[in-house]
Amino acid sequence: MEFANFPYLTAILLSCVIGLLVILFIPEERQMLIKWVSLIASAVTVVISLYLFVAYNKTLGGLQFVEKVLWVKSLGIYYFNAVDGFNLPMLLLTSIVLFTGVLTMWELENRVKEFFALTLLLVAGVFGVFMSMDLFFIFVWYDVSLFPMYPLIAVWGSTRKEYGAMKLTLYLLAGSALILPAILYLFVNSGLNTFDITALMQPGTFTPFQQKFAFLLLYLGFGVLAGVWPFHTWSPVGHVAAPTSVSMIHAGVLMKLGAFGVLRVGIFLCPEGWQYWAQLMAVLATCGIVYGAFVGLAQTDLKYVIGYSSVSHMGIVGLGLATVTVDGLNGAVFQMFAHGVMTALFFSSVGYIYDKTHTKMIPELGGMSKIMPVASGYFIVAALAGIGVPCLASFWAELLVFLASFKVYPVRGALAICALVVSALFMLRVVQRTFYGEKNERFAHLPDVSFGLGLPRMILVAVIVIFGLFPSLMLDVIQTSSIPFIHGLP
Amino acid sequence: MKWILFLPEIYCLLMAAAFFGLAMLPRTNPRRDYQVAVLLASVGVLISLMSVRLHGTLFFEAYRIDLFSQVFKVMLAMGLFLVICLCTELRGVEERYHPEFYLFLTTCTFAMMMLVSAVELLTIYIALELSSYSLYILVPLRRGPGTDVEAGIKYLMVGASASAVMLFGLSYIFGVTHTTYVAEIMKILPTVITTPAAMIGLLLTLCGFFFKLAVFPFHFWAPDVYQGASNQVTAFIATASKVGAVAILMRMVALTGGASKYLVDVLVVLSIASMTIGNLTAIVQKDMKRLLAYSSISHAGYVLIGILSMSASGYASAIFYAVAYLIMNLCCFLVVVNVAYDGSDLKIAQLAGLHRRSPLLAMTLMLAVFGLAGIPPTIGFTGKFLVFAAAVARGHLVLVIIAMINATISLYYYILVVKAAYLLEPDVEMERLNISMPTKVLAGALVAVMVVIGIYPHHVLEVARAAAKGLMM
Repeated sequence: MEFANFPYLTAILLSCVIGLLVILFIPEERQMLIKWVSLIASAVTVVISLYLFVAYNKTLGGLQFVEKVLWVKSLGIYYFNAVDGFNLPMLLLTSIVLFTGVLTMWELENRVKEFFALTLLLVAGVFGVFMSMDLFFIFVWYDVSLFPMYPLIAVWGSTRKEYGAMKLTLYLLAGSALILPAILYLFVNSGLNTFDITALMQPGTFTPFQQKFAFLLLYLGFGVLAGVWPFHTWSPVGHVAAPTSVSMIHAGVLMKLGAFGVLRVGIFLCPEGWQYWAQLMAVLATCGIVYGAFVGLAQTDLKYVIGYSSVSHMGIVGLGLATVTVDGLNGAVFQMFAHGVMTALFFSSVGYIYDKTHTKMIPELGGMSKIMPVASGYFIVAALAGIGVPCLASFWAELLVFLASFKVYPVRGALAICALVVSALFMLRVVQRTFYGEKNERFAHLPDVSFGLGLPRMILVAVIVIFGLFPSLMLDVIQTSSIPFIHGLP
Repeated sequence: MKWILFLPEIYCLLMAAAFFGLAMLPRTNPRRDYQVAVLLASVGVLISLMSVRLHGTLFFEAYRIDLFSQVFKVMLAMGLFLVICLCTELRGVEERYHPEFYLFLTTCTFAMMMLVSAVELLTIYIALELSSYSLYILVPLRRGPGTDVEAGIKYLMVGASASAVMLFGLSYIFGVTHTTYVAEIMKILPTVITTPAAMIGLLLTLCGFFFKLAVFPFHFWAPDVYQGASNQVTAFIATASKVGAVAILMRMVALTGGASKYLVDVLVVLSIASMTIGNLTAIVQKDMKRLLAYSSISHAGYVLIGILSMSASGYASAIFYAVAYLIMNLCCFLVVVNVAYDGSDLKIAQLAGLHRRSPLLAMTLMLAVFGLAGIPPTIGFTGKFLVFAAAVARGHLVLVIIAMINATISLYYYILVVKAAYLLEPDVEMERLNISMPTKVLAGALVAVMVVIGIYPHHVLEVARAAAKGLMM
């Protein structure tokens, strides 16, 4: 048994699990207590992940804060958690989105206990996938994070919620139907009788054919959750149907699980497969970027707009991964973080507007900046981040990805850039039609966002700006993993 | 003869005799019958647990006591005990038949205990028939609209046909190997398994067990019998009886020593057909028991994946899967029995509002069906994982992908059940369900077992591995 001095990573998981168990034993009527328990549990995750982010030794790099316990001896399964430059940003992202998500849902009154219990379960799964270095546990946490989505959307959602929830669940689990065979295939063919990723990723463990085959399964399986075109159709529908904080977690964090799965399992274990299929990945990613931008242009529902912009932005992550370069990897991971925070802000702003006006149709709104200037401001910041305005986090991410893709795939890079212009166009149109122009008198009496409800949005804006102004805060961490990984490729 | 080796079986016989005595009494008393049954069955679990370490042979080597058989005996005794625990409100069976009801449950358990220990073809046949005949009687014991009789007849007819086919197959095996002892057959059969006579004989023999396990194409009885029998009998057929079938199927497949590619191919086809037909048909079901019947057909396909791997880890995974299936299905039936407490058939729509009527039952049901769908961190996931791992190790990757796609299909109808319990509201307001304390404890214990073994399967897996080794000898 090897344990770091203090099991920080386990503490993150435990804070979610203990929060969940405490909530289960609190009577349904004590709603405020339930919310406070969830808030405290999520605050603990923020504190620990911030600490990890700061305490991670960038000169040493590699895996740190390692926790490794043999779990099932006969199958070589380890409870193995660690952080490196790839998952550290993800842990930070998840904790921030969870914390702000809980605050966003502070006014929830319907089945509060179940909502927060399921949210904590979902997030425990997400944390688990990000921190685990054992294939078995990655798969277990992955599924744990998927199935609470069904009740969360079907009970508390809106707009064809049951259809959206069912479609999402079946799509994502169909994806995992490819992941499990792929994982077992790798496990069996390694001959090492272990699920430990660090052991399996040693060069020469798998033949090129095995890597190509397994990578394809893993890419398709995880790609469904990452919203890779053409398997993205569940995503806008699911986003629209989900309640505000679930949309935040879902688009902000859960989609990253897919991309992260491709990285951690597919790319780590099958680097030759990755290089072999990179062309295909780049084509699909470019299709996603272009398609998301153009379909987003035609939407009249605010949430659909964000949903399709997510498909487009996740395409940028895919394109970054497909370049097989340091810049591409850096950009992709940075984009995962930046997009997560940005989308959370998007959905959180739309959620407030929807809660007050009971509509998210663009033609029915209008002049909202005169009615609720602060709430509108949050959306506009998110929109600017979505466009890739400098000094906001996503600018750096997109810049890195496009720099890398221009070198490797000039035509596809150019196409993607053109699509970004379209995406800027539709985002600005949405902002113009929703927040400026003639104001709808029907909503003139509505209050602006209060300080308490504005707090989560403020935090998100602050994160976007901080990492926009000081991108090296993030890039220095990511590079500790991306540079050695790319240089170690065969 | 070392009678101590036969202890769990002797105890079952004594239990049956006790119920026979109760049946002879002029006045019935359901409360008393239930209490006696629970007490006797709980002692039965203890006795079978105590006899786990025994090993040896009996009856001129026709009967083997080893870890494999004893583990299954514990599961059978546990299954009987848990099913009897569901009988607090045995309203689906007329009161005057209650002692007979317990009597036949016990004789069936006795027969299946014999089945898992039998290592001689005729003993196997007789044990199988005895267990089946007990169930043929239990099914029409139901008080109700008359579907019970139809179900009983259907069960009898299909069962009789299957056992006739099986007997025919046994005669071929005897003809080829000139012995009825499994140990002898295991030596000879792998060398002649490629001959048509041996192959046909084995396949026809397996038909009897396919019938028990409701594997395609012997699955037709399952939906009607599940629906026609009283809830508790269905629970028994769906759990303990399936466990016995898995055990003997493994014993028979192990006969070939993995030497027949044709047998593997046949089992692959049957597995795919069972999974797919079971899952696709389950989607349209409105009745909970029928849904569970079709789901059991599909689960028979999953178990077959472990068995057809014909390796120690394959058999171990099938044993683990059987444990998982026993627990998850019992959880489902616990909910069925308590929600339809008047003994009627439970429609899925009747689960509406269950999360308010009884949050505990709703949670039990949700975890059980998610377990059946193979969602972690439940025992059902771990079971599927082990079965699939064993199959991939033997090169059956495509089969595993098909099985995973099937698991996704199954999730659709399992989610419909969860949706009914958590999302739908009943048309008329219904009162809270009055769940007794023992039932609450039972539900809590089953849920805990489902989750704990799901997360930490190590010990159960080790026992299953050790048991599987005994089978390979």
